[in-house]
Amino acid sequence: MLLTRLKAGGPAIARQGILVAFLLFMVAFSLMSDRFLSADNFMSVFRQSAIIGVMALGVTIVVIGGNLDLSVGSMLSFATVLVVDLHDKIGPELAIPVMILATLCLGAINGALIGFLRLNSLIVTLGMLSAIQGLVLIYSGGQNVDIVDQQGTWFSIFGRGAIMGIATPIVMFLGLALLFHVIMSSMPFGRKVYAVGGNPTASVFSGISRSRVVFTTYLISALCVSMAAIILGSRVMGSQNNVGQGYELQVLAAVILGGTSLMGGSGSISRTVLGVLMLAFIQNGLILMGQPYYMQWLVTWAIIIIAVWLDVAAKRGRLLSPIA
Amino acid sequence: MKRTKTLLLASCGAIALGAAASADTVRIGITQNNVGIDSYQTTYEQAFIAAAEANPNVEVIVLDAGGDVARQISQMQDLIQQQVDAIIVWPTDGQALVPAVRNAYNAGIPVVVTNSNIAEAGLDFIAAFSGPNNIQQGIYSAEMMCDALDGEGQIVQITGMPGYTTAIERQQGFDDRLAELCPGVTQLDIQPGDWNRERAQRTMETFLTRFDDIDGVYAGDDNMGVGALNAAIAAGRAEGMVFIGATNFAVGYDAMERGEYWGSVYQSPVDDARAALQTALDVLAGEDVPLLNYFDTPKITQDNMHEFDRPVF
Repeated sequence: MLLTRLKAGGPAIARQGILVAFLLFMVAFSLMSDRFLSADNFMSVFRQSAIIGVMALGVTIVVIGGNLDLSVGSMLSFATVLVVDLHDKIGPELAIPVMILATLCLGAINGALIGFLRLNSLIVTLGMLSAIQGLVLIYSGGQNVDIVDQQGTWFSIFGRGAIMGIATPIVMFLGLALLFHVIMSSMPFGRKVYAVGGNPTASVFSGISRSRVVFTTYLISALCVSMAAIILGSRVMGSQNNVGQGYELQVLAAVILGGTSLMGGSGSISRTVLGVLMLAFIQNGLILMGQPYYMQWLVTWAIIIIAVWLDVAAKRGRLLSPIA
Repeated sequence: MKRTKTLLLASCGAIALGAAASADTVRIGITQNNVGIDSYQTTYEQAFIAAAEANPNVEVIVLDAGGDVARQISQMQDLIQQQVDAIIVWPTDGQALVPAVRNAYNAGIPVVVTNSNIAEAGLDFIAAFSGPNNIQQGIYSAEMMCDALDGEGQIVQITGMPGYTTAIERQQGFDDRLAELCPGVTQLDIQPGDWNRERAQRTMETFLTRFDDIDGVYAGDDNMGVGALNAAIAAGRAEGMVFIGATNFAVGYDAMERGEYWGSVYQSPVDDARAALQTALDVLAGEDVPLLNYFDTPKITQDNMHEFDRPVF
């Protein structure tokens, strides 16, 4: 591993395509707006990014395992509506575990279909995207749900509170990132995920249960969604039925921006965190500069292209492809 | 050719008349946009069915397109095949639906468009439109903002989903009326909140970082307005800030009751549904119905809020 990296060559800095792009971008924005690098803004963007961020951690693991998860957006709607609705009915101390279990069941359906039945993950999770949205609407009858006593509930700690002076969403995001970083980089399960995503056939011959590993990645993804739902529900103190609509694409964009290969087998949790932050700072920075919203879409696209290009270039050791 | 068409039209009319005369009831088919996707549409459907059941002379066929324009077009064709007396449609896509509306027109079935209007090319083929006047709603919000700020101040605006007619019209009504009525109020920036409370909260947080002095916030609906309010409260800056929305939601109503939210525009899905059915009945009764039928969506503020029921959504 180390040897191939050294062989790839190129200046050391270019090997971190995403990091370079991130730093360049941060410098450019702080030159254009004096508020951009203020501590307040930094914390505020960090806190905003936590919902997408926590979901992106799970999806990163799914993608490293060689699959996709497009159902996380609807799953977020499901989990948020459930936890907010149950909050007033059975209290937060029961609502949270019930919601987590229900969300894990959805993850298990994804995992069983893709892991054990070996169905295509794009098709399965795209189907789940609309199936879960339907489930939400059946559950809620289309009504918005709201927490009535917003001031009095301890549930507010997750979205609005702070732990030792740091906003809880940030603590949850970084805590989970650290946990998954350790799992993916230095535990057997992490190595199995890389193996299954990198070369499924070889992994089976090495005695890895591919089905079980894939199944578990979807459980992790669902668990991450349930954590994001706790943050979202607590931050907003209510939920629309389609609150997570479109989040799956933002999550995927952050994962790709972090350099995780959609082919599976490569990528890392820490780089996804960078990808998430970068997307959040783009949205924030452009509004701070007073740019119209559609600039976000263009700039996001351009930055993804540049980051992916720098990443590919770093791997092959030159900017342009040697085979023209 | 022309004659056959007229004949066809005449015979269709005769059949419809015959059916109406024999049973003394009218059959009205409705195809809705996407019931269940939000509380407004869910309440609309319930109110529509209730209004129809309350009238013994009306028989309704209630369909829902589930947000899918192709399905809505085939539902229109089904209703034409069933020779209903009138069709009410809540367009999933005002442009793509024009040919289906023209088919109904050619079959002699009057079409009433409800809630959001069809594209201009289709206006020749409909009997009437029934729904809220979103430009007027923007105007109302601008007037309330002007009132609340006494004509002086700096505000930000959070709009609905970019590209949606409702979002565009409300913004247009607000911008135009504010500039005309209140030149002393400046708009610092306008950014979308996508009808999403969390998204609006994020947008407002960024506004709060960027501007030290914000006197008022206009949001394209109360759901986003309450998101903006949440952000201001969290930043400790809600005191003295004026929040004005549109489409009064229950959360907006409650915040108004607590004195945190200044005002909104009251748009009832129940009124919307009843107006649609009534417009269709008026058309069938041969009354002279104006092409654009707006139902009343009054201003609601802390002062007059108790004249209104708490919204169910």
